[in-house]
Formats: sequence, structure tokens, C-alpha cells
Amino acid sequence: MTELLSNLWMGFHVASNPFNVLFCLLGALVGTLVGVLPGIGTVATIAMLLPITFGLPPVGALIMLAGIYYGAQYGGSTTSVLVNIPGEATSVITCLDGHQMARQGRAGPALAIAAMGSFFAGCVATVLVAALGAPLTSLALLFGPAEYFSLMVLGLIFAVVLAKGSVLKAVAMVVTGLLLSMVGSDLETGAARMSFDIPELADGIGFANVAMGVFGFAEIIRNLELPGESRDIVQAKITGLMPTRKDLIDSSGAIARGTLLGSLLGILPGGGAVIASFAAYTFEKKIARDPSRFGRGAIEGVAAPESANNAAAQTSFIPLLTLGIPPNAVMALMVGAMTIHGIVPGPQVMTKQPELFWGMIASMWIGNLMLVIINLPLVGVWVSLLRVPYRLLYPSIIVFCCIGIYSINNSPTDVAISAIFGVVGFWLIKHDFEPAPMLLGFVLGPLMEENLRRAMLIARGDASVFFTRPISAVLLLTAIALLVIAALPKVRRRRDEVFVE
Amino acid sequence: MSERVQPEKGSSRAAEGGGQGMPPASRDARTENAPSPQEPQFRFSIRSPRDFWGGLVLIALAILAIWASRDLPGQRGFAFGPGTAPRLFAGVLAALGAAVALMGIIEHGPPIEKYKFRGPILVVIGILSFAALVRPLGLVPATFSAFVISILGTTEMRWIESLIAGAIMTLFCVLLFVYLLGLPFQLWPRLY
Repeated sequence: MTELLSNLWMGFHVASNPFNVLFCLLGALVGTLVGVLPGIGTVATIAMLLPITFGLPPVGALIMLAGIYYGAQYGGSTTSVLVNIPGEATSVITCLDGHQMARQGRAGPALAIAAMGSFFAGCVATVLVAALGAPLTSLALLFGPAEYFSLMVLGLIFAVVLAKGSVLKAVAMVVTGLLLSMVGSDLETGAARMSFDIPELADGIGFANVAMGVFGFAEIIRNLELPGESRDIVQAKITGLMPTRKDLIDSSGAIARGTLLGSLLGILPGGGAVIASFAAYTFEKKIARDPSRFGRGAIEGVAAPESANNAAAQTSFIPLLTLGIPPNAVMALMVGAMTIHGIVPGPQVMTKQPELFWGMIASMWIGNLMLVIINLPLVGVWVSLLRVPYRLLYPSIIVFCCIGIYSINNSPTDVAISAIFGVVGFWLIKHDFEPAPMLLGFVLGPLMEENLRRAMLIARGDASVFFTRPISAVLLLTAIALLVIAALPKVRRRRDEVFVE
Repeated sequence: MSERVQPEKGSSRAAEGGGQGMPPASRDARTENAPSPQEPQFRFSIRSPRDFWGGLVLIALAILAIWASRDLPGQRGFAFGPGTAPRLFAGVLAALGAAVALMGIIEHGPPIEKYKFRGPILVVIGILSFAALVRPLGLVPATFSAFVISILGTTEMRWIESLIAGAIMTLFCVLLFVYLLGLPFQLWPRLY
């Protein structure tokens, strides 16, 4: 316990360095700014803003990215409440009651409760991440290559099963990502693989290019296709930001329950935050004395899912920081950012770079605090941003992305590659393939291959090693069981319902 | 039989396009040209075209990967060679692609949406123009041209508004990236 406190203290010491606070503030601000734009989800926001953090020192960059993440998520809920367009899947459910509240002139309280719920959830989840970090890390040190490989398989399967859409297609996307990650030079021999003698491909396909193309450009192209603007912006002046006493009493229980549910579900790999917000809403509706209020502006319907998705967003850092395995697309982006800064995520981060580890955890809390402080007064600014027509917005986003990608390596080819991935992403959307599992596979690819190769070498070419080592066997069997369960017709139908609701 | 041959042909062309990241234009032209009353009869065996064609493209991608890694040495004794993992995963991908395509025949699904070309093409040209211009001409012309070309992708475009917005955005980007973030970009064409 004392160790935990001293670690947290060190973290706050790092995070409260004026520069880091500034990075955190900037991240939260810019994250919200982009996250507010309708049709641009959290992943796209982070992918877009990734390049601006490259010039910073590693700790500052990661703190800023974490700020961007929370900001983007908070921005998403602002759009949900005010325009009824969810920024991302996690804030779909917030639309239901949040927008109703806004129409009743209570946009202020809705946004305030969302921010307060998120902040509370953030505080709890920060402590949880700090507390679970150490034990999980020591567990991770017991892992050999075979266990690591199996763990990654399990993580990917989890992500696939909990995501929406067809499990088969999601698995296919994961494998596509793995295959794409193998373009470039071989880890051991340095041989150029599948690079078609193009010098720019000899180092592999840049992670930022794929992310920006598949999430940023593809979404823009996709949005252009959708029929004209049907935005239902709440025009009424937002007055009275503060929730009433009754609002606070009504929502406090919902916030606590949402936080608990979100923290638990967030640790699971996969779309933890999405599932958490759905689960929290459904739960609140079930236990409510008068369920018919939901969908008509019940404040619990905003408080619970917003707390849950924030808690889950934060606890999803646990598998990343302790095991080095990104549980979802956002964390995959974090891995990409870390690798660019020369940090290999995993158990060794905590022992070798404690300032980074604990600084980041502390900055999560600071980031949440920033959101409450900056967002509530700035709601008016976000609303006016929503009035900018999309025809002017999207070219701005495009040039912003272009400069961002170019700035990474000063390479025009990178920009062209991301344009290609934009078209690929567009095609994927057209054929109902989810791009997120592909990105996850792409990020995990090199790590998986390395561990697979090592495990096979140690086992002298005997592939049964994955099932004879107990931990590995348990992990793989869990993965298989998950796949089988998800493929069962009954579960499948339930799963579809959850995502349709 | 003839009904089966026709889609296969289309697929290989579409697959090539998909593998290189271009929109499978040829297939779409064909679907659009097909007279609508005949359509259900024409692909009665493909119940979910999104899955079917998607699966075929994945198979094509896997074949491309196997072909591209054909020269890489494989397994040596117990050790993986550089070519082992790519071929392994490409094989898995081909199998999954086949399964997805098979599901497209077995299960019903929504039709493929029509592609609109204006938006995607102009956006891509805009991005490529940035890539082409940023080295020789500098950041300012590249940013401006990317903005103006990609804004042509929407039918709601208005010239004067777009030019002004493009100028403002260019200025904003220069201020942000060059002056605030201090990135070493060349702004204008170099005059010798």
C-alpha cells in the first residue's frame, strides 16, 4: 500500500511538471476539438493527432496522447448530446437520453453530469490501474514466448468476439493486419519481405499511415457519400450549466454503478468501453423504478454510460501497460506511438521506466480534471464549431492529416501510402469489414511473429508446445471456447441485439 | 455454368483492384449496367454479395502475399525462415477468405452499395497532390492545392468560399506546424 502511494506520488510529481501539465491540457483541448466534429470517432481523432506528439519527449508525448484520448471521448459525448450524432460507438447510448435532455433545454446539466461522471470514473479507474499494475506485471514476467503468443491470440479473439459484426470477418481482418505487418525487413535476417522492391516499403508500412488512411481518410470519404446534412443542432441557448440538486442525487447512484461496471469490463480486451456503456445503460433501465423515463431525458441514462465508458477507457490501459498487449484499436494506436518513441510496451516499462509508467497513470487523473475544468466553460465554443458546414470541415481535416503524416518522416510517399489505405478502408466499410481488428493485428503482428518463432525454436520445432505448457494451454483453450461460444446461433442473435439496441 | 463463369471473371479483376487498394471499379460498372429486372436471377447463387466478393478479394490478397514471398527462404531445421510466417498467415487468410465467400453464398445479406466516384476520387487526388507538391513547391502551395482539390469532392462546393477557407486553413496550418510546433518545413518554392 505504501509502495502504491509512493509510486503514485512519483507519478504526480512527473505529471505535475508544468510542461507535462501543459501537454495534458493541450491534448485534452485538441482532443475535444476534433472529437466534437461529428462523424470523426475517437480512433480517427487520435490517429490524426498522433503526429503532433512526435516532436515531444516520450513522457510528454504519452501524456498528451492520453489527454487527446479522454478529450476525444468527451468530445464524442458532447456531439451526442447536442447534435444526436454519436462521435463513436461508445457514445451511441448517450444520444438516447442526452439529446432528449438537450431538447428540453437541459443540455447544460446533461453535459455537466457527463463530465462529472467521467471525472469520478476516472478517479476510481486511476487508482485501479495503479493497484493492478504491479501484480499483473509480476505475472507477466513468468511468461515465456509460448505464453505470450497464446496471450496475444486470446487478446485478439477477445477483441473480435466483443466487437460488432461477423466474427468470421473480424478474424479475417486480424489476419490481414498480421500479414500487412510482415511487409518490410525480417526481424532476424533483415531480408526484405513482400516489399516489391519499393524502397519505401523496405522498412515496412508505417503504422501511422495505415491508421490515418483506414480511420481518417476512409471515414471522410464515407461521410461524403452520405446524403446531405441532416444535423439537428440544438439551437436554444444553453443556459444553466449546473445540474440541480435533484439531478445530482438522481445520478450519483448511476455514476457509481456505471463506474464499477465499466472498470470491470474495460480490463477485458475488445470493445470494453462500448460494451460497458451499453451494459451500464441497460442495467440502469432494469433497476429503475420507472423505466419508461429512459429515452425521454432521464439523467441516469447519461450519467451511467458516460461513467462506464470513461472507466473502461482507462482500465483498458491495464493490459497494455502490464502485458504490452493492446486490447482495442485506441490502445493499438498508443503502442504505435510508444514504438515510435522507442518504448516497447510491456512489463519492462514499469521496472525500467517507472517515471513514464506512473507519470502516465497520474496524468490520466489530471487529464480528467482538465476536461471538467476546460469543457464546461467551453461548451459554447464547441456548439459554434458544430455549425461549421461539413463541406468546409472535411478539406481542413484532410490537409491537417496530410501535413501530420508528412511531418513524421518528411516523406511524401507516406502521404501517398495513407491515401491508398484510405481507399482500402473505404472498400472495407462497403463490404462490412471492421477496420479496427485489422489495425490491432497490424500492431501485434511483429510481436506475435517474434514470439511464435522463439517458442518454436525453443521447443525444437514441436508445435504442441502451445498446449503442453499449462498457462499457454489455458489461454488458447479459452480463446477457442470464446470463438465457439460466439459462433453459437443463440449467442450470436443476442450479440446482434445488443449492438442494434 | 455460364452464369458462374461471368462473376468469376469480374472477381479476378475486382480482386486485383482491391489488393492494390483501388476501388474495384470494373465490378461496379458491371453491376450498374445490369438491367434491374434480371438482377436477382443473375446472381441467385450469391446471397450476400458483400461477403462473397469481400472473401474473394481476401483470397486474392493471400495469393498476392504468397507470390510476393516466393523467393524468401522458409523453414531451416527448427528455425523459422523469413518466408515462413508470411506464407503461414497468407494460407490462413486464404482459408478465412474462402469461408467468408462461402458464407456469402449460404447466408442472405445486404447488396453492395453503389459507389459514388466524385468524393473518393477527388479526395484521393487532393491527398496525392499534397504528396507531389510538398517537396518541389513547399508547404503553402501543397496545402492550398490539397484543400481546393479535395473540396471539389462535394457537390455543395462554392468557389469563393472555398478559396477563402483554403487560404485561412493554410495560414492556420503554417502557424501551427511551423511556428508553434517548430517543424522544419520549407514553405515556398525555393528561388535560386
